[in-house]
Amino acid sequence: MKVQESVFIQKKKPLLVKLLDRLLECYPYVSILAMDSKTRDFMVSKRNMRVGENVRGTSRGFVARVSDGKYYTEYSFNQVSEEILDKICNRIKELVESSNCVLPEGLKQQEYQVPLEETMTFTGSTEYELDPEEMGDDAILAHLNNIKEKGLAVSDQILDCQVACSYQKYTKLFLSKEKTMEQSVMWMSGALFFSAARGEEIKDYYMPYSTLGGAEMLAKMELDVRTCAEVTLELLKSAPMIPGEYDCVCTPDVTGMIVHEAFGHGVEMDMFVKKRALAEEYIGEYVASKLVTMHDGASAASEVATYFFDDEGTMAHDTIVIEEGILKQGISDLQSALVLQTQPTGNGRRESFRRKAYTRMTNTFFEGGSDTVEEMIASIDYGFLLENPRSGMEDPKNWGIQCMVNIAREIRDGKLTGKVFSPIVLTGYVPDLLKSISMMSKEVVLCGSGMCGKGYKEWVKVSDGGPYIKAKIRLG
Amino acid sequence: MIEQIKDVLGSLGIELYCIVESVQESIECFFIRKKLDLKRGTDLTDYSVTVFCPFEKDGQKMLGSSVLNLHPGMEVEELKEVLQKAYEAAALVCNPYYELNKGTKEEAVLADSTFAGKSLEENTKQMVAALYEADVFEDTFINSAEIFATHTVRHIVNACAVDVSYETYQVSGEYVVQCTTPQDVETYHTFSYRDANVQTLRKEVEEAITITRERAKAQNPPKAGDYTILLSGKHINTLLRYYVERSKTGMVYQKFSNYEIDALVQGQEIQKDALTMYLKAKEPYSAEGIPMKDRLLLQDGTLKTLHGGIRFASYLGVEPTGEYSSIEVMAGSQTVEELKASPYLYIASFSDFQMDEFSGYFGGEIRLAFLYDGKSVTPVTGGSINGSILEAQKHMTFSKELYCCEQYEGPYMVRIENVAVAGLQE
Repeated sequence: MKVQESVFIQKKKPLLVKLLDRLLECYPYVSILAMDSKTRDFMVSKRNMRVGENVRGTSRGFVARVSDGKYYTEYSFNQVSEEILDKICNRIKELVESSNCVLPEGLKQQEYQVPLEETMTFTGSTEYELDPEEMGDDAILAHLNNIKEKGLAVSDQILDCQVACSYQKYTKLFLSKEKTMEQSVMWMSGALFFSAARGEEIKDYYMPYSTLGGAEMLAKMELDVRTCAEVTLELLKSAPMIPGEYDCVCTPDVTGMIVHEAFGHGVEMDMFVKKRALAEEYIGEYVASKLVTMHDGASAASEVATYFFDDEGTMAHDTIVIEEGILKQGISDLQSALVLQTQPTGNGRRESFRRKAYTRMTNTFFEGGSDTVEEMIASIDYGFLLENPRSGMEDPKNWGIQCMVNIAREIRDGKLTGKVFSPIVLTGYVPDLLKSISMMSKEVVLCGSGMCGKGYKEWVKVSDGGPYIKAKIRLG
Repeated sequence: MIEQIKDVLGSLGIELYCIVESVQESIECFFIRKKLDLKRGTDLTDYSVTVFCPFEKDGQKMLGSSVLNLHPGMEVEELKEVLQKAYEAAALVCNPYYELNKGTKEEAVLADSTFAGKSLEENTKQMVAALYEADVFEDTFINSAEIFATHTVRHIVNACAVDVSYETYQVSGEYVVQCTTPQDVETYHTFSYRDANVQTLRKEVEEAITITRERAKAQNPPKAGDYTILLSGKHINTLLRYYVERSKTGMVYQKFSNYEIDALVQGQEIQKDALTMYLKAKEPYSAEGIPMKDRLLLQDGTLKTLHGGIRFASYLGVEPTGEYSSIEVMAGSQTVEELKASPYLYIASFSDFQMDEFSGYFGGEIRLAFLYDGKSVTPVTGGSINGSILEAQKHMTFSKELYCCEQYEGPYMVRIENVAVAGLQE
């Protein structure tokens, strides 16, 4: 089934076309992005329950971008009607004309070319098997409650089993002089979150799920309940990590975090424009083991960050960022491409119509290799299997790594010993880690249960992943 | 639109609700070096509505709720449809019954801010000037900056006669400082002010420039091992968030925290400074319309307040306080000079310092630290720290000197013993 387009967007389209035409009388470049997005969250736990819209993910509004031939200005608004079209045009005019008013002496405005556009008309929708709205809140909650009860029944030591899911259904309309583009997309994601107490310390384990689609995802969640509970109980016996550099095998979710945080942010080309990314100097150079081929793109995989065009009207790409260890190119929004005189790669994304567009990742992953997980573990004299990523922070300027992982399973003489350590901080220098990759499994897994920020804000949905990898990593 | 929403709620027979209207205008500027890359303006009106459904299940009184966003210009039929759907969802949410916040219509609270009375453009220009005033060096400069000037008017009404409103002004943002010699490095900084604190912002940028210069000199990680560490400023706020999170009524009710009033939550083995800490009210009302005031959270390491909204407070039988984002901590027992008198690793900058309020573990990658071995101070970079507040709280010594930012007022520095550092192997 295809996702239906928003009735609201359809109703407002003629008015937005009129606004576009009015603005085009004054400015050489105008685009309008209209968004209607509904995100619904569900959560059940032992002593709490929640159903409702996600405040950040549910929004309806518009952003106009204009260029007066030299400078760019944007205006975000969420009311439009025939009666206030003049007011909107006047507000945009005020903003354009008062740009200099915010500048103290010594600061100037950056001049930009007007983007050259190809004529484009596009309409597209993603597909789903089971519409969560049709399934209904009651059926979704019943499903989550059932999982929760199974989770709590595993052991009295389980403090709580929180089961959550969200879905977003959105329609975007992009209008400019040459483009009329519409897309409707739905994704669903979820998580099992188990906790258990060790004195005052609460240990927890998290299993993520996601799909480009609908409520068909829910069936996957109940399969992992026992495993998830058992790993949480294992964590009660965990020891603090002994700092050092070790041979490690990373599960696909940890691989995904390394791909995303350690390298992905560094090839966002708005960072090239600011001279904030070391990667710019390494195009055409070896930055990783020859085993590594890395992709990013809204059309590179079918996951939660899949779309047909970005928030600047550029069609989705599958960008090969690293090919057999060589850094080939970055990913780019439209404005950065204008400065760098490159082609945009369909990575101009906004948190919502309220926010600026930046270069953002989409579905980011390493291709698979030819090894088995068993072979990878067997090849290690002493090291760790790293599982359950928690968070990471980018460092595009200096390629430092900070990734937090929940579990390191000890490997001795090629076998898992059963001993676990937690929590773990991964650090090091990105090329050192990527060049140390010596084995990769065949299977590639992507997941997009969380959101990605730029610094500490601008949250967008992304997926990341890859195969199991073997690498040398500093753990603390 | 509030009256229209109330009318529709009435027509649907929905008796319990809370409506939050937020009207926000902003000016946003994005700079690369000393050039304005993009200017943005926003005019946004939002309605967040929570509908409540009382019902009984297995003989127990319940109150389910569901939140939804309503959009300006929504037609009555659509309002009816989405509010009815939310009400039906609320009827599925089996949470024990509680009473909504009761109140009266209050006078609007105007912002007591030096930003008030000026245009957002003027406020932006003033703070941009402060931001760039210290940017006068060839080798160390502001690489890029984002600045957001906002004026927000929030209006909260509920079914139990709460009708309050207030306005806020804020200028917030982030900036990256780059130093090109002897190596090309950068540091990342954020700021947020409710008054035109131009001198504070200028001073923060000066400090950021100094820190970035030191970062450019740092070459190697420290050796792996256990260290006495020093943390300062915003990192102390992150560290102490553990106590703020653990004392939330939601954490206690759900058994993620065992905190009780008058319990010595800093532990029984405090060997150094005992914490006295206040929750600071930065806005006059919570999202539920609860009047906010400063509250004593910890007195000498002992818990004095459990804090949170109506629902969990009701379950625990404590006073609802609303949600807090800022703390004030009383000064410590030693001067910064005394804290630095014996060997230490002072971590001035992390890539992302984190505290896990569940486990109590804190850690992060070291962007810049100063290693004092008893003889000399060496800047180092790389490696990470990994510690537990449950151990650290026994021997934390805070400075007498104070530091202030939007979310934290308190000691500038803390000294913590025996923290594991991952770094160079021997």
